Amino acid sequence: MSLELLIDIFLGAASYWWLILIATTLGIIIGAIPGFGAQNTIIMLLPFTLAVQVDMALTFMVALYVASHMGSGIPAILLNIPGTGGAAATTIDGYPMAKKGMAQQALVLTFVASTLGGFFTAFIAIFAIGYLARIAFFLHSVEMVVIMLFGITLIAVIAAKDPLKGLISGIIGLLIGAIGADHIYSAPRATFGFLELYEGMPIIPALIGLFAISEALVMLEKRSMLTAEGRERMLRAGWRETLEGIQMALKRWTHILWTSLIGLVVGAVPGAGASIGSFVAYQQSRLYSKTPEAYGTGHPEGVLAPEAANNGVASGSLIPLLVLAVPGGTTAAVMLVVLSYHGVPLGPRLFVEDPGLAYGVFATMVLSYLIMMVTILPMSKYLSRVTLVGTTILAPIIIGFTLVGAFSPRAYIFDMGVALTFGVLGYLMRKTGYHVVAMLIGIILGPLLEANFMRALRLSGGDSMVFFSSTIGNVLWLMLLASILLPLYSSWRRNRA
Amino acid sequence: MDRKTPNKSTTRLTRRGLIKATTLGGAGALFAPALVGRALAQDDFPSRTMQILIPTGEGGGVDRSARAFNAGWGEILGTGFEYGYFPGAAGQVGYETFIGRREPDAYNLLYGAIGPEMIMYATQNPSYTFPDDYVYFGGVNADDVVIWVAEDSPFQTLEDLIEEGQSRRVNFSGSRLPHPASIAVFLLAEETGADFNVIPYGGGNPARSAALTGEVDACCTHMGSSLSVADQVRFLTVFQDENRVPGLTNDALPVNEIMGTDFPELGGLRAFAIHTAAIEQYPDRVALLKETMLENFESGRYDADTLDQGLTPEFNVFVDQEACTRSAMEMVELANRFEHLLRDG
Repeated sequence: MSLELLIDIFLGAASYWWLILIATTLGIIIGAIPGFGAQNTIIMLLPFTLAVQVDMALTFMVALYVASHMGSGIPAILLNIPGTGGAAATTIDGYPMAKKGMAQQALVLTFVASTLGGFFTAFIAIFAIGYLARIAFFLHSVEMVVIMLFGITLIAVIAAKDPLKGLISGIIGLLIGAIGADHIYSAPRATFGFLELYEGMPIIPALIGLFAISEALVMLEKRSMLTAEGRERMLRAGWRETLEGIQMALKRWTHILWTSLIGLVVGAVPGAGASIGSFVAYQQSRLYSKTPEAYGTGHPEGVLAPEAANNGVASGSLIPLLVLAVPGGTTAAVMLVVLSYHGVPLGPRLFVEDPGLAYGVFATMVLSYLIMMVTILPMSKYLSRVTLVGTTILAPIIIGFTLVGAFSPRAYIFDMGVALTFGVLGYLMRKTGYHVVAMLIGIILGPLLEANFMRALRLSGGDSMVFFSSTIGNVLWLMLLASILLPLYSSWRRNRA
Repeated sequence: MDRKTPNKSTTRLTRRGLIKATTLGGAGALFAPALVGRALAQDDFPSRTMQILIPTGEGGGVDRSARAFNAGWGEILGTGFEYGYFPGAAGQVGYETFIGRREPDAYNLLYGAIGPEMIMYATQNPSYTFPDDYVYFGGVNADDVVIWVAEDSPFQTLEDLIEEGQSRRVNFSGSRLPHPASIAVFLLAEETGADFNVIPYGGGNPARSAALTGEVDACCTHMGSSLSVADQVRFLTVFQDENRVPGLTNDALPVNEIMGTDFPELGGLRAFAIHTAAIEQYPDRVALLKETMLENFESGRYDADTLDQGLTPEFNVFVDQEACTRSAMEMVELANRFEHLLRDG
């Protein structure tokens, strides 16, 4: 690509700065409300995107999409409620930071990781889109099984302090994830006659119940969600905390870059998604950390890794849509509808006939992150004040909002019941020391693992050696083995010393 | 597992039900003018908004197709359309909701794809019965089954693929196993003795991706959704008597022309359905719906609205109630015939 074309593309995208500002603001808000994802919003706004010019529609959708990824981390930190599955891993360290009165720093970490990670991966995508699109040609069902297992090993990490309870939570999560039609014959399993469970346990209502409602119930037992020391710290907080957060993030810039690359690679595989990217990035971040024991207690790197990866996925997931005309996720599928409506020729033809539009997607991303960096960073000071609100006010608002969020994706009253049921389950789990994150990992990754596992077996005619039949797959197996054994070896050495 | 007894679906297609479905339709058409006159004089139908239940997601092909047709139809009827989306369980959630919770008053209609949804009916044991509880009274859009390979595939023709399947297992990606596209592959395998294996990917997009990225040898799917990747693939055949869009599909020939077979046409005819009770209680309303539906189809407006929705007008067809019922029953029969391949165990 020539420099002239690149400048043209950026100037073209920049002419829509006002639209990017509106779309990113909307995206952050809808991303922060569990259940109101980018997909639903774009569907609701179809009359707008279909009526305007295609470059305007695309700019709006892309800016909204990336902003929703960033927004989902806000409630994960402030209230222990991830806006989407992609931000679930952020709760592990983000919320403990908030409880300690460091919500402002944690939010800044999220914003910097998201913008820097997203900015970096979008830029890489501009120059390497052809190569990145090839990732989908090498990561098939077998390889995806191993990648899912990276995420699932997080259950063991989370369970480190209480292995039995952690594993029980994870296994129950995997079993819940197995509810619904089986991935080959579509035969319903454990649906108890509920048609609404035929497609599997709905993730958003389960996530809302396990995190939001159970957290609200726990909150009600105290007057404040903060520790006494944390409350004092929050009351004193000013702009200094924002600067401290920026400093904490920038000190770990390499960490942001390599974890965002994990997201980019995972995102480029059609159907993989932000949940896998962020869980795998968190797991890898902890694996290579010099202080793995700090993870889960409010460690900055535990916030940076999933958030950078989450936004890396956003860059990656649009690659299959543009290069192969195959949407990588649900939001991209809605974008496909809009682009088809406008007669945009997706696939290789797009890069020949309208390279400005193709690369313009990533230029819009880069600009969206730049604009968000300016608009959202100062907000962390004010957003973090949510943690000072009394629980008697906060808890009912959380329950009300999130129940609507549970209803929103499918518009089934049943899903509100699912959220309430998981809310009670989550509350009981928290009170008895079980791990809701471990259960959520099972619920989210379990069905994906099973689908890829069954598919690989069917492709091979039932030969289980298929899992060791590809070079890339075997390398991934070795990496997985190393990621399990290395911490054990380190711990053994530490104990010996 | 809750298995249905063999041919239960066939027995549910009762002779009484079939006669009712076709004769009600025939009678409706025969007496339409008189009934319409009465309807306009006595009933003033439609006096409020029509309710369309879509058993798939908002913004999908079925939704857009319904909106394309209803833009003109609403003007002729002098009313608007309101949409409700009930995706899930391969359409079963939508159908159960329609039959169980929607008033049979001819204001409530369902718009769905006959092919995949009748296979769902045959394989998933729903609580309703076709055609005793509902009938399709008019099809307006078709999406045919096709088989294609990636552009760089070594298989140039359908015969190449079959020949390969006679020496090794050939994998096809599909969206779901209980689907007309899977039946198309099973028919081919049965006819040629080829070892064809359908891998369900849980949706059209992942299925296309698997074939494009080389995880499988070929893709069996709907034509309409495959046109977005047309410049990266080679269409080998279409399961229809005629290829509706030869120019967009490298002139792929119909399967029966290539093979000299007599395979049924396979695809997803999109049609409006209504409660059978509504046909019995409000024949005048149904007659008016049918008459205006045909009027809209013939006006040429529908093709223009289809283009506006970014869809392909070549797939617009008009299929009356009898033909819809016949198509639905053929699909149930095929699903029963291949039940051992479509269902576990």
